[in-house]
Amino acid sequence: MKNKLACFVAVVFSLHPAAAQYRTALPGYHYEFPRDHFNHPEFQTEWWYYTGNLKSTDGHRFGFELTFFRQAVSRDPAKTSAWDVKDIYLAHLALSDLDGSKFYHAERTNRSGPGIAGVDETRGRIWNGNWQIIWRNEAQELQAIDEQFQLHLALRSEKPPVVHGEDGVSEKAAGAGHASHYISLTRIHTSGFVELGEKKFEVTGTSWMDHEFFTHQLTADQTGWDWLSLQLEDNTELMLFHIRRRDGSIDPYSAGTFVDAQGKTTHLRASDFVLMPLRKTWKSPSTGAVYPIAWKLAIPRLGLELEVKTPLESQELTGKAKLTPNYWEGAIILTGQRNGQAAAGVGYLEMTGYDHAVRLAR
Amino acid sequence: MSRLLLFYRLMARPLLREPVRAGLTVLAVALGVAVVLAIDLAGDAATGSFRSSMETLAGDNDLEIATSGGVPENLVGTLASLPYSIRISPRIEDFAVIAGTRKSLPLIGLDLVSEGSGSSRMDSGTAAETPFPKTLEEGFENSGGFDGIWVGASLGFKAGDRVPLLINDQVHDYVIRGAYPDSNGNESAIVMDIATAQQALTRYGRVDRILLKVQKTASLDEWQQRLRSALPAGVELRPQGTGTNENRRMLAAFRWNLRLLSYVSLVVGAFLIYNTISVSVVRRRAEIGIVRALGASRGVILSAFAGEAACFGIAGALIALPLGRFMATVAVKLMAATVESLYVSSRPGPIELGVGSVFLALGIGVGVAVASAYSPAREASLVSPVEAMGKGRREYDVRVQKGRVLWLASGLSLAAAAASRGNAIAGKPLFGYLAAILLVVASALATPAVVDALLTVSSKMLGKIFGVEALLASRSLAGSLRRTSVLVGALSTAIAMMTAVGIMVGSFRETVAVWMSDQLPADLYLRPAGSAAADRHPTISLGLAEKIAKLPGVMAVDRLRAYEISYENMPATLLSVDVDVLRSHHNSDFFSGRSKEEVLGELRDSNVVLVSEPFAYKHNVKRGNSITLALGGGRDSFRVADVYYDYSSERGNILMDRQTLLRYLPDAAPSNLAIYVSPESNLDAVRYEIEQTAAGQRVLLFSNRDLRGEAIRIFDRTFAITYALEAVAVLVAVMGIAGALLALVIDRRRELGLLHFLGAAKNQIRKLILVEAGLLGLLANTAGLMLGFALSLVLIFVINKQSFGWTIRFHWPVEILLAAITIVYVATVLAGLYPAQVAVQLNPIEVIHEE
Repeated sequence: MKNKLACFVAVVFSLHPAAAQYRTALPGYHYEFPRDHFNHPEFQTEWWYYTGNLKSTDGHRFGFELTFFRQAVSRDPAKTSAWDVKDIYLAHLALSDLDGSKFYHAERTNRSGPGIAGVDETRGRIWNGNWQIIWRNEAQELQAIDEQFQLHLALRSEKPPVVHGEDGVSEKAAGAGHASHYISLTRIHTSGFVELGEKKFEVTGTSWMDHEFFTHQLTADQTGWDWLSLQLEDNTELMLFHIRRRDGSIDPYSAGTFVDAQGKTTHLRASDFVLMPLRKTWKSPSTGAVYPIAWKLAIPRLGLELEVKTPLESQELTGKAKLTPNYWEGAIILTGQRNGQAAAGVGYLEMTGYDHAVRLAR
Repeated sequence: MSRLLLFYRLMARPLLREPVRAGLTVLAVALGVAVVLAIDLAGDAATGSFRSSMETLAGDNDLEIATSGGVPENLVGTLASLPYSIRISPRIEDFAVIAGTRKSLPLIGLDLVSEGSGSSRMDSGTAAETPFPKTLEEGFENSGGFDGIWVGASLGFKAGDRVPLLINDQVHDYVIRGAYPDSNGNESAIVMDIATAQQALTRYGRVDRILLKVQKTASLDEWQQRLRSALPAGVELRPQGTGTNENRRMLAAFRWNLRLLSYVSLVVGAFLIYNTISVSVVRRRAEIGIVRALGASRGVILSAFAGEAACFGIAGALIALPLGRFMATVAVKLMAATVESLYVSSRPGPIELGVGSVFLALGIGVGVAVASAYSPAREASLVSPVEAMGKGRREYDVRVQKGRVLWLASGLSLAAAAASRGNAIAGKPLFGYLAAILLVVASALATPAVVDALLTVSSKMLGKIFGVEALLASRSLAGSLRRTSVLVGALSTAIAMMTAVGIMVGSFRETVAVWMSDQLPADLYLRPAGSAAADRHPTISLGLAEKIAKLPGVMAVDRLRAYEISYENMPATLLSVDVDVLRSHHNSDFFSGRSKEEVLGELRDSNVVLVSEPFAYKHNVKRGNSITLALGGGRDSFRVADVYYDYSSERGNILMDRQTLLRYLPDAAPSNLAIYVSPESNLDAVRYEIEQTAAGQRVLLFSNRDLRGEAIRIFDRTFAITYALEAVAVLVAVMGIAGALLALVIDRRRELGLLHFLGAAKNQIRKLILVEAGLLGLLANTAGLMLGFALSLVLIFVINKQSFGWTIRFHWPVEILLAAITIVYVATVLAGLYPAQVAVQLNPIEVIHEE
C-alpha cells in the first residue's frame, strides 16, 4: 500500500492521456513465480518494497527500508534510445538506528538509461544505481550504498509469496481497476552487515517484501493512509491498511491479510478490524506534520489485540524535490495478546498525508 | 625641502616652459605603457581567465571521464552500480546557434531526470549542487516532458517561448521550459535533457564526458586508482577541468608572444626617455655646474634627473591607465577572434582594471623611465663644476668610441646567431627571444658608427642635391651624433619590429596560400552552417554525401570527419578522409618527399596515420614512430607513415583513413565534404543541383575560390592584433622624432638665429629642419630594415617554429613593406613640421642678444 511515490508521479504523469494504454489490475490474474517477482511494464506503476528489523550480535537494533519504484512515462515505440524516458525509477533508502536514536534516509530519481536503473529478469536484478536486489534462486541479496551507511544483506524467504485481496486483486476503491496486484514475502530471514560511518555491525533479523503493480488505483477523495506490516513471534504475520477519506472517515476499502504459521492467508475486510491511533504523537520539526506514533489494533475474528509502539519517534522521510511527499515510515514494536496468550513482535508502520492531503489522482 | 625646491627649479620649471615637448614624451611613455597594459588586460580577458565554455554548469565535480570521440554511454550504468557513493553526471557537449542570429551558444545535454530532481543519483546525503532544482517539475508541468530546453536567464527568454536552434545542419524549434541563473560564473548556454541532445545531434551511444563527484574520505589519487579498474583501457579518468587546463596551456604560447610584442612599444618609449633626459642634461649643464659649485652632491644631481624621469613615468602611467583600458576593449575583440579561429571556442571574460593593473602600469612606467634615464643622469652627476661653468662646450658631444663599440656590436650579433640555434625551453622559445634582444642591442650599439659613416658620406652628396640647407642639416646631425643615434635607434627599433613581423606574417601568408592551392584541390566544399571553430566540428546529416555523389557531373566526394581529442595532455584534431578520393586528387606535401600515392597507399584501412607538422613538433613524433590513441573506449597503436605540412590549425592534426576511424568510432556523419566536379560539367549547374539536393539542410557551399578567400580572411583577422601593436610602436617612435626635433630646434636657437641673422630665409630654415627630419627617417628606415630582416629570420625560423611548429618559407612581402616604410617616412617628415615652424618663428635679435 506504499504508493506515496505513485501518487506524486501519478499526478504529474496523468497529464499524459496515454494512461489508457496501460493495463489495470483486474480479478483473475494468474500469478507465476519467480516471473511475477520482476517487472510488469504493461502496468503504469510498480514497486518493490523491503523493510526489516535487525539486531547486531551485541544487541544493537536497526530498522531499514529500501524501495524501488517504477512509474511509466511513455510507451511510445518510436523511443528507442537508451536515454529516452520510458519509466522513471525512484528509490528510497532509510536506516533507523533504533538504539542510537538516529534516522538516516536518502532518495534517488533516475531513468533506466544505459543501465542506471531498472529490472532485469534474466539476471534477477532490480536496481537503482548501487541500490539493488539480486535474486539467486530462492534467495536474494540486498545491497545499498549511501554516503553515511551501507546495507549488505542476504535474504531468504521462509514462506511462499502471499497474494493479497480476493481473486488476485487488492481493491482500493469502487470500480473496476481501482485495485492492484499485491504480493508479499511476509517473513524473510535476514543476515549480513550494516555499515554506519566507521562501524560495521553484523546483523540478523526479519524482513518483509511488498511488490505491487497497477494503473490508477486510488481516487481523489482519499487523502492518506496508514499501513502496517506485523511479524509476530508465533510465526504469524499481518498486513493492514487504512485509507483515510477527505471527510475524516475510514474508507470501506481498507483491508488486510493474516498469514498463519503455515503460510495460509485470511483476507481481512475493513469491518474485520479496528485500528485506532492512541494519544501519543510526534511533530515533525521539518514538515510540521503531527503523526500518531502509537496505535491500538483489535481483530476480534483472530482474538488478537495489540499495541503498536516505536523505539524511535523520528522516522520521517522528507523529499528534497517539492513533488515528493513526506511520510513517516518506521520500525515498530508490538505487544498484546492473542486468545489470552501474550503476543509480541516487530513490524513496520507507514503513515502518509499528515502534512497535507496526498494528491492521489486527477 | 631644499631638494624639492631644487627639483622644481632645475627640472619642473624648464619642463613647464616647453609643454609640447614634455607632453610628447609623456604621451610616448603613456602609449608604451598603455599597450603593455592593454595586452595584459585583454590577454587576461581573452585567454588568461580561459575557462572552457563547456565548464558551464559543470558544478563542483572532482573527476571527469573522457575519450576521443566520446565515452560509451554504458559506462554510466557501470559506474552507477559500483559500490561507492559517487555522483555521476554524464554530459553531451556541443554548440548551437540561435537561428537567424550569429549567437553561438554552448549546448549541454544533462540527465535532467537525475540532476533535476534535486536528488542526484549518488549524492544522497548532502545537498546536490545542481543548478536545476526545478527542471523535473518544469518539464512535467509543461506537459511536454523533456523535449524542451532551458536557457541562461540573461538571454531574456521566457518559459513557453519557441526558439529555432541551428544544430549541425538542421534547424528545429525548441520550447523554453525555464531559465537558470547565469550571472555568477555560469555562461549562458542551452541546456537539454541528454536524450533530446542525442537526438538533436544524432549522436547516439556515447556521451562526451562523465563528471564525477567523490567523497572526501579518500584522496583524488586513491579514487582514480579505485575507479580505474572499472573502466575500459581507452577512456581517460582525470581531474575535472583538465581539458580547460590543456587549452590554457595551448594558449600560453600565443599569449606569451603577444605580450612580448607589446613590449616593443615600451622599448621604443625607453629610447625616447633616454633622449629626453640626455637633452635635459645637456641643456642644464651650466645650471648643474652652479648647483654643484654651491655644494650639491653628485647624489642630489643623480636623483634630480632620475626624479625627472620618474615624473615622466608616473604621468605616462596615469594616462596609460584609462588609455590602456580603452585599448584593451579593442584588443580583446581581436584576440578573441584569433583564439576562436586558431585554437578553441571561448568567450572573453570581463576586462578587469584592478589594483594589480595600476601597479603594473606605474611599475613599468616609472621603471622603464628611470632605467633609461640612468645613464644620462649619471653623466650629469659626473659633471665637474669648473667644466660646466666654462662656456666653451655648450653642445653635447661626448666622443663615441666607435671602434670598441663596433666590436661589441659584432660580438653581440654573433651571440645572437648562436642563441638562435638553441632549443625551446619548456615549450617557450627563450633562446629565440634572447637572440632578438641581442640583435636589438647590437643594432643600438652600432647605430652611432653607422650614422656617422652614413652622414659623412651623404653630407656632400646631399649638399649637391638639396642645397646648402641639406649640407647644414647633415652636418648638424653628425655634430650631435649621440643624440641623433638615439633617435635613429628608437625609430629604427620600431621599424625593425614592424619589418620583422611584416616579413614573418607576409611569409606565413604566402606559405599558406601556396599550401592551400595544393591542399584544396576540390571544386566545391560543403560544411554545416552550425557553429564551427578550431575545436568544433558540426556534422552533416547522413546520406547527403551519397546523394551528392550520385548527381550527374559529380566525379567524387571526399567525406572528411573531424574530432577534437586529447593527445598526451594537449588538444589535437583527429581527421579522417576517404583515402581513395584523396589519393586520386590531392597533392599533399610530405616531409619524406615521397609521392602521395606511396604515402596514402599505406593509409588505406589500416592502423597507419599521418600527422601534421605542428603535431609532430609538439609531440616530437617522426615518421615511423608509433602513437597510441584512445578511441571510443579502446586504446590502439598507430604507425606514423609520414608528417605533412599543414597550416590549418595550430592544434596539430592526426589524419587517418575514413574506414579505419569508422572501426573505432562508428558515427558515419561527415564534418565536411570536398566535391570534385568532372571537367566536362558546368560548375554552376552542378552547384545548383547540389544546392537543390541539400535543400532543407542548413549547409554552406563554398567554391574553391571562396574557400581560399575565406581562409585568407581568417588568416588576416588573426594577425590584426599584431598589426595594431606594430602601428602603436611606430606611432610612439614618430612622436619621439617630433619631440626630439623640437628639442634640437630649441637647443640650436643660437645657431638658427645666427643663420637667420646672416640672411637665411624662413623657407631655408624650414627646409633645414625638414631635411633633418627626412635624414633621421632615412637613417632609421635603413637601420630598421636591416635589423628587421635579421629579426624576421629569428621570428620565422626560431620563435615561430618553436612556439607553433610551423615551417614558414621566407618571402619578402614587398608591397606591404614598401607601403609601411613610406608611411613611416612621410610621418617622420611631417613630424618635423611643427619644430620647423617653431624654428622659423625664432626672433634672431633676441637669440643673438642672449649671447
